[in-house]
Order: sequence, then C-alpha cells, then structure tokens
Amino acid sequence: MIVKKKKLPKVFDYFQDEDAFAGGISICSGCPMELLLRFMSKVLGKDIIIVGTPSCSAIVLYGQNIGSWHKLAYYGCLMTGVASSATGISRYYRKIGKDVTVVCFTGDGCAADVGFQPLSGAAERNENFIYICYDNEGYMNTGVQRSSTTPFGAKTSTTPIGVARRGNETTGKNLPFIMAMHKVSYAATATLSHLEDLAKKLIKAKEKKNEGFAYIHVFSPCPTGWGFPMDLSIEVCRMAVRTNYFPLWEAERGKFRLTRKIKKPRPLKDLVRMIRKFSHLTDEEMGMLEKEVHERYKLIEGMTRMMPLEENP
Amino acid sequence: MKRKYKGEVRTITGNAAAAYGAMLCRPDVVALYPITPQTEVVEQLSRFSADGLLDAEMVEVEGENTAMNIAAAATISGGRVFTASSSWGLAFMYDALLQTAGFRAPVVMVNVNREMPGILAVSTGQQDMIGTRDAGWIQIIAEDCQEILDLVIMAYRLAEDFDIQVPVMVNYDGFYLSYLSEGVNIPAREEVDVFLAPLKEQPERPKLVPGGPLGCGTHGIEKGFVELRYKHCAAMERAKKKFDEIDRLFGESFGRSYGGQIEEYRMEDAEIALVASGSAAGTVKTVIDSKRKQGLKIGLVKLRMFRPFPSERLSRVFRGKKAIGVIDRSVCFGWNCGPIYMELRALSPEIGLIPIMSFIDGLANMDISIVHIERMIDSVYAASQGKPYQRVTWVVLEE
Amino acid sequence: MVKLKIHTKYEGAWSNADELLLCLDTGSWRAERPMVDEEKCNYCGLCILYCPTQCMTNMEHHFVPNLDFCKGCGICARECPREAISMVAEGNFRDEEEI
Repeated sequence: MIVKKKKLPKVFDYFQDEDAFAGGISICSGCPMELLLRFMSKVLGKDIIIVGTPSCSAIVLYGQNIGSWHKLAYYGCLMTGVASSATGISRYYRKIGKDVTVVCFTGDGCAADVGFQPLSGAAERNENFIYICYDNEGYMNTGVQRSSTTPFGAKTSTTPIGVARRGNETTGKNLPFIMAMHKVSYAATATLSHLEDLAKKLIKAKEKKNEGFAYIHVFSPCPTGWGFPMDLSIEVCRMAVRTNYFPLWEAERGKFRLTRKIKKPRPLKDLVRMIRKFSHLTDEEMGMLEKEVHERYKLIEGMTRMMPLEENP
Repeated sequence: MKRKYKGEVRTITGNAAAAYGAMLCRPDVVALYPITPQTEVVEQLSRFSADGLLDAEMVEVEGENTAMNIAAAATISGGRVFTASSSWGLAFMYDALLQTAGFRAPVVMVNVNREMPGILAVSTGQQDMIGTRDAGWIQIIAEDCQEILDLVIMAYRLAEDFDIQVPVMVNYDGFYLSYLSEGVNIPAREEVDVFLAPLKEQPERPKLVPGGPLGCGTHGIEKGFVELRYKHCAAMERAKKKFDEIDRLFGESFGRSYGGQIEEYRMEDAEIALVASGSAAGTVKTVIDSKRKQGLKIGLVKLRMFRPFPSERLSRVFRGKKAIGVIDRSVCFGWNCGPIYMELRALSPEIGLIPIMSFIDGLANMDISIVHIERMIDSVYAASQGKPYQRVTWVVLEE
Repeated sequence: MVKLKIHTKYEGAWSNADELLLCLDTGSWRAERPMVDEEKCNYCGLCILYCPTQCMTNMEHHFVPNLDFCKGCGICARECPREAISMVAEGNFRDEEEI
C-alpha cells in the first residue's frame, strides 16, 4: 500500500502567483529555460517588468502584432540594450517613487558577449534591478554557435570537429564570478534541478535589488544544441552540480558562500558522457576540461574561505 | 542651499543654453556621457543637479549606446528624458536611435555637430546629422545660442504631442555655437511649465506599467509591420505643420518666433537665393544685406527642419526664382554633392528646371567666410543669367 | 489619394495581453504520451514541479498531464521516484475527435 504524501514539496510555498504564460508556447520540448520562465513568473509574481532580448526566450517574451504569449509587462529590446533599458525603467520608477521589480532575462550570448559592456556598467553603478542569465553555453536560437561561455572542446556549428580544428579552443568566461567581482549587492548561481535553491535565490534577489544590482546565473542545458535526450534535461543539471562542473554559490558585495557543498564530487566523465557535444574529446582534451572545472571550483572554494559570507542568524 | 531662480538674460555658451533648455523642461531621467564638443552640456546639467535646480535621476553611463537605451526605456515607461551626443557617440548609439524611433518614444536629444570619424576630426561638420537622417527622427537645426535654448523647449512640445510621438534631435554646430558665449534670454521656469502644459490635457500615450497588459517591442508580422511603418511616416508628415504652429505659439508666449520649418530672409522679391543651415546662415545674411545694397535681388532660405524635409514650403518659396545655391557642411557619398542640395533637387518638378548649384564648404571647421559666400553668390548670379555653371563646387579647394 | 484601412490600434510596437493572449497547440508536437499509474503514485509532486510546460494537473491524490499542451518530453517519467509514469507511443491512442 503506497503511503500518499500529505503535502506538496516545500517549493510550492514560494509561489506567489499563477503561471503568467500561456499553456502552449513555442520552446523546444524538454527545455529547462521554459521551466525557468514559468517558475520565475510564479515565484516573482505578475507585477514585474521583464526586459527581453533576441534569443530563444524572445519567441515567447515578445508579442506578435497585438497578441502576447503571456500576461506580464515586457520591454523587448536589442541585445546591446538590455541592461541599459532596465536602468532607464528602474530609474524612472525610482524618480516617481514607485517600487517596481525589473527583471532582465537573457541568454549567455547577450550577457557575456554583445551585451556585456552595458551589463558591467549597470553592475558597477549598482542599479536596482535583477538580471537573470540562462547559460546554455552558446547562441542556441540561431543554430548552436559558440559564445564566450562555451566550454573548452565543445562542438558547435562555428567550432565544428574536423582534421584542422577540433571544437572550441578557449575555456570561456567565468561570467558569474566576474559579476560577483563587481561587488554587486547579490550574485548567485542556480540550476533547474535544485528548485528550492533557485526559489530562495530569486526571492533574495528581489529583496536585494533594493540595495543594488542582483545577478543570477542559471545553468540551463540545451537538449537540441548539446545533443542529449530531452527527458534527461533535469538529470544533466543535477549531474553538473554533482560533478562540481557548476557549483551553486551566492555572493553579496564580494563575500562568498556555497549554498550546496558536494561532499563526494563525481568524476567529470559522468557528465561528459551524457552530452554529445563532448563525445569527440580525446583523453588530453578531457584532461584540459577537467583542469578548468577543477580550477573554477577551487577559486570559489578559496573565496568562501578568504571572503566568507556569514549565514543569516 | 537652493538658489532662487528667475527668468533673466545671461551670457552663456551654446552648450550651456542646451543644458538650460533641458533643465527648464523638468526631465525625469538624464543620461550623461562626455564627448567633445558636447561635454559642457553634461557638466552643466550635473552642476544644476548638484545645486538642486534639476530634480532628475542623473545616470553617468559607460557609453552612448547605454544613454540612448536608457532614454528610450524611461520614455516608454512614461517619463521625460534628455541626453546629448555628437559624431562618434551618435554612431555608437545608432541601433538605439533606430529602436527609439521605431518604438515612437518621444525622446529629445541634442546633437552637437562634429565631423564623423574615418578621418579623425575634432572639428565641426554636419556629417553626423546626415549619417542618421534615415533613423526616423525629427531633426531640427539651430543658428545661434538663443535658438538652441528655444528649440529644446519646442522639441519637447513637438515630440510629446499625442499626434506626433516621434523623437526629436536638436542639432547645432560644434565649436562655433557650442563654445560661443552670447547673451541669451533664459525664460522663467513657470513660463516654460505653462508652455508645456497643453501636453497634459491631451490623451495619454501608452505606458509600460508593472502588472499591466501592455508590452512594448512586439514582433511586427506582415501587415502589422507595414501599418506601423506607415503610421510613423504619416506622423512625420504631420510634424511639419505642427512645428510651424508650435513656433507661432512660442512667439506668442516668449516673444521670439523663427519662421517654422524654414526661415525666409528677404525672399519676397528675390530672383536668386542661397540655402544654408546652422551658424553659417548668420554670415550669409550679412553678405546678402551688403549685396542688396548693391542692387542684387538675393535672398536666403535658412533650413531649420531637416527631417521631415519641408518639401511644400520649399517648393512654394522657390517657384519662379532664377537660380539657387545650396551650402552644405557635409557630403553625400555616392552622389558627389552636398546632401541638402541633393534633397532640394528632388523638388525640381515643383520648383521648375532652374540652375541649382551645390557648394561644399565648412568641413572640418574651415570658416564659411564672407569671401566664400561672395564667390558663391557670383556663381549663382552667373548661372541665373544663362551662363554655363558648375554643378558641384568644393569651395575650399578652389581657393 | 487612396484611403487606406489601418487596423493596428497603437502608434508604436505595443502588444496587449488583454486583447489577445496567444496560445500554441503544443499538444500536437507529441510522439509519446505520459501515462500515470495511480496505484504507484505517492503524490510527491516532483512531476508537477519539473514539468517544463507546467501542464501536470493536480487530481488530489495523483497527477495527470494536460494533453492540450504536453509536449511529450518525458521529464516527468524520468524524474518520478516511484517510476509511476511511463511514456507510451502516441500511435497507441485514438482521440475522440478523430473518426
């Protein structure tokens, strides 16, 4: 006899509002970004202004002529203008004395590449809005091209595998750490397998944005672009955390704290063998990827020891 | 300690006049980024803010692209904004300029004319205004420091009008007007409030509010896109008459009126004419006065509104004239002539097939001097008498 | 001068969710359908949490997918700790509207 659980998981307590998006929206089956959009609109509520950019999410965030795919107020602008437009909106509402939550929702292509300068400028000025970057390690909407967060060795359509060149040649930017080093009021990493962690970080970002800039970097693997079955999306997120490929931490004004410490991290192979964009890696290339992952984890761990963020009493 | 401020006459530079104009209109958000020759505008605005005269959110941005995006977004949320830029900065914010106009966000900015890069130049020229003429903005040009201040105030009245809702760029010559000190009549703030008050009685434009159903930046699909473009063009057409009307109303409120889209100087009985814009028009007027004393029937049309191009008024004023000389402070690549000349020539069916001559002068801060203008007038007069004439003259190179 | 018929309401690029809320028939994308075994389900709620389209409907002691929007990704079947959900090929079903 199966014992039925009395209550739904604790995460449901964080939901403020109904899902603001229409039932059927045009995002790939199994995409974690769709889960992120709907989850975010439930946790942050419907009184937000969301600033979007041309990306996989633009299909849904931007309307079509008079119609819209969701009930939120949005501002659809260019990649170069996301952080700047959010600055304009939040500064205007600050001038008229109204508390408004402005959320920028972009991919890694905008945040790390073409929109990086305005993002860095807004972070330095500690503007009052939330910036959520969903990292699928490439420009997925235009056909899986490399971006500056694409990891070493990854196969993309602009870094294909051939005799002369094999995959991505650089290790990519450690974007969440760069943003934390702007000494912003809140910077965090999160992913879609650890939803309670994500909910807490979204709510904390909403509070902290009143003090200054809040940045959340969400690991959002792309089944279409990376090459794994669509039902494994959440499992890939989970494995990324368990192998320390994507450690979960948060930082306030340059002081760090791991929100999920993995006691026995699994070998990186467990993640890499799930994903086809890494299937061509030789042992040497795998060694270089492991080194980069290891160094990034050591960096975060070191910061949590040197500049620790105290737990709230 | 707040300083008590009243309307008065002060000796200020063109840049300071632009800053005063903006300050009087009570913007909500001001984006500041320095570039020669506009730097004093943002410095003056910062001083106003520090002195308590300007109650606005001052954003010291890290690039002009950011400045224009801030302006567009704040305006779409319902506010009033101001920003300033020049040549390279205007080029850097180009994608945001297109977006602002496409969104129909009533932003007002000041563009201090400076030569566009490619050949590094820290000197004046109208190439930056020409380079952005197809962005969909209304572009107006000032001749002196008083006009700069007045045009900024009129720009808000024009941009935010419910029938128009097109962003406005006020241009003036860098280095000639930006750093020139003249006596400027600065209106009292209450007077400016009264002049801009009719905007509040109009219907409200759509705004971005949290929790609201409206979202800005939708995809234009097929006919939806075409209709929005059509509406934009139609609004720019309406802006011509509206600008004439606002100029008249400004004259009634402040005692200064400039003629609207164009200023017609001694054109009633003129047989030949010159076309000029910006600070050069002042020198041309002086030469015309002296030529008139010698009996030559000559007049000047000062172009004040460049976009939308004042086709109807120009066709009317030039009909029946014998020859026209157009002074351009820029070049039109691919046509080997001046841009204003090229656009005026498109009105030939309405004006009649008369000699129209292009004079390219004043690039890189080289003065459009009295000697140059006298030579231009001699050429135009010769053309009007049926003598063979040169279509395009690079005045400086023919010295 | 030809009189043009203009249908758009706004001057600028605005959309209005109250006037038109779009929705796509994503249920037609499916190749496989999730089937929930009520006996095995312990009402833990992980499927409704992880479903990207949030189409799992709460039936008080188990969950069923809303077939109008279920894209058949299979995440619910993969994440269910009791293996109470299985993905069955669409070819095995015939909806009432057909025939």
